[in-house]
Amino acid sequence: MPTPTSPHALSRRGLLKIGLLGSVALAGAGLLGSIAGCSAERAAPGLAVLRDSDLPMLQRLTALLLDGAVAPQDMPKAVQGTLASLDQGLAYLSPAVSKQVSQLFDLLSLPVTRGPLTGIWGGWEQAQDSEMRAFLQRWENSPIALLRQGHASLLQMVLMAWYGREESWEHCGYPGPPAI
Amino acid sequence: MPVTDPFTEGLARGWTVHDGSRLEQDVTLEADIVIVGSGAGGGTSAEILSAAGYKVLLIEEGPLRSSRDFTMQEPPAYASLYQEAIGRTSQDGAITILQGRAVGGSTLVNWTSSFRTPTATLEHWRREHSVKGLSEQSMAPWFERMEQRLGIEPWPLTPNANNQVIRNGCEALGYSWAVIPRNVRGCWNLGYCGMGCPSNAKQSMLVTTIPATLEAGGELVYLARAERLVIDKDQVTSLECSAMDPRCVAPTGRKIRVRARHYILTGGGINTPAILLRSGAHDPHQRLGKRTFLHLVNFSAAQFESVINPFYGAPQSIYSDHFQWDDGPSGRMSYKLEVPPIHPALAATLLGRFGIDNAMRMEQLPHTNAMIALMRDGFHPDSAEGQVRLRSDGTPTLDYEMTPYTWDGIRRAYHSMAEIQFAAGAKAVLPLHSDATYAANLGQARKLIDELNLALYRTRLGSAHVMGGCAMGEDPRQAVTDSLGRHHHLENLSIHDGSLFPTSIGANPQLSIYGLAANLSSQLAERLKKA
Repeated sequence: MPTPTSPHALSRRGLLKIGLLGSVALAGAGLLGSIAGCSAERAAPGLAVLRDSDLPMLQRLTALLLDGAVAPQDMPKAVQGTLASLDQGLAYLSPAVSKQVSQLFDLLSLPVTRGPLTGIWGGWEQAQDSEMRAFLQRWENSPIALLRQGHASLLQMVLMAWYGREESWEHCGYPGPPAI
Repeated sequence: MPVTDPFTEGLARGWTVHDGSRLEQDVTLEADIVIVGSGAGGGTSAEILSAAGYKVLLIEEGPLRSSRDFTMQEPPAYASLYQEAIGRTSQDGAITILQGRAVGGSTLVNWTSSFRTPTATLEHWRREHSVKGLSEQSMAPWFERMEQRLGIEPWPLTPNANNQVIRNGCEALGYSWAVIPRNVRGCWNLGYCGMGCPSNAKQSMLVTTIPATLEAGGELVYLARAERLVIDKDQVTSLECSAMDPRCVAPTGRKIRVRARHYILTGGGINTPAILLRSGAHDPHQRLGKRTFLHLVNFSAAQFESVINPFYGAPQSIYSDHFQWDDGPSGRMSYKLEVPPIHPALAATLLGRFGIDNAMRMEQLPHTNAMIALMRDGFHPDSAEGQVRLRSDGTPTLDYEMTPYTWDGIRRAYHSMAEIQFAAGAKAVLPLHSDATYAANLGQARKLIDELNLALYRTRLGSAHVMGGCAMGEDPRQAVTDSLGRHHHLENLSIHDGSLFPTSIGANPQLSIYGLAANLSSQLAERLKKA
């Protein structure tokens, strides 16, 4: 697949290629339902909600989102901790919202949708920072509301998971709650 | 410093409290009056009606958490005390909606600000929404009663630095400001109201009206979601509830059926309309769920040389209504100005961007003030408005439609907040919008604000006040209940919560709900006696 020169052009071509017509179609039960059926439903070992298929994308994304807040040598541990916190938070979501989140992760993880929707055609482990930034920018400015929503949702859930953890507080100067 | 936990002590004394998640069999309960939802409206109604001698049963969807559970940590608080584990948003995901979901409802997690319903709002309801009997004079004794019940007084201590920004900025500009009354007794000035008050100083329903109800012989069932009312013509014959699992995520399969003489819905905005929608309640003019309002919030951050520590100290103690009524009750979109407490996890989702940009903003958290503008939606025909819909699994979602009239208020609010922040001495101001960067002076900020593409997702939006959806009023073509909270078509059903409001309030709503619920419950107690 050729490297995209114009993110928006590819996204439209790519979307038409797999028959997606916009947020209504994406959100509709049909295609999304069959996509969801392709991915593993069971949580990864040691986790409550996140599946094996979610992890490569989330690990790569979290490292990018926390860049600048965590020293490079501490990043792997920070990513692991963030995903543990994210997983715990997801375990309390209402079923409807939880389903939206796993469908979002499916769009990002399953090869049939990942390439066309993000421009990242290889695996997440091989994705360059520049490709990641391009994908996030594409989603932020997408004509498709579901992708704009997905972009906001991804950023918020990952950052919230990290900054709920005590290890993050030194960076943001928060001493923690007072002892009472 | 050991803090006594009133709930633990009460339970030891023999209060009748059932944990729905522990039910091993379906159960049928009976009471004179069943009240759905243990928040501001439910707690207030329960105390008054149980004191009047009725056998009251309170049904609460969420868990029971009390002071010994409140660790002042964001993740467990958000997961256990908030609707959908703080995952509740508008249907399009663009607006974060904060509502409580635990015994005590939103009063458990609110920031204690207590205002009487503005007279202009009551007048607007009388004139435009056929509400009768609610005026400044008629409501005054009820507000007074609940102010005394809940220790509501203007905050007497020094406002924290975050709140001082409003005071100092407004003083410098000649804008009006005032001290916020708070429902606290013996407050330790910690700032963790939003995670459950660890000292029981906040006079939430959990430590006031619900214990009183249980002392008077009332009963509480928690982790029980009210699914639907069973209706026979103009009578509710029973209420069906699902027992919830301990995380309050999914029903366990056990059912709780309740039979009562009278049913009161107090699940709040979104939830109360949802119950009626699921029940298929008679709604000939399609009013159910419509006209739901949010006090839609936009945000502005500011950097100061001095230390602000926006995570410590009573979270809300100063407000400005300078822009709330200056164009009349139904002129251009108006807004109230306050500050939110920002702890790290919430701050990270508000300050925006990611990677280095977000890291730099978060690094400055101790020097960051945050300000909010709350839109007074619902007073003008062009106002944004929400409609409650049911998802395929029966749970509710709010479809909130933005309008240019409302976006105009959002833009003016960015201008007002920037102006006040600079006047208070800010070094830089950041309207919370994905296209904004820190502006070093007011001129730069104004230019930036005027050029902002005000669209969903790009503009950070939130709500902590859900109102309407089951409007009160004498005209059944407009309203779901009459001015006494009596359902227009169901003889033994009342609504005593914020879903009654025909418009948003124009002030933080808890005292409006306390006053109205006290008023309506007292009248109901009389009517039931004579029936």
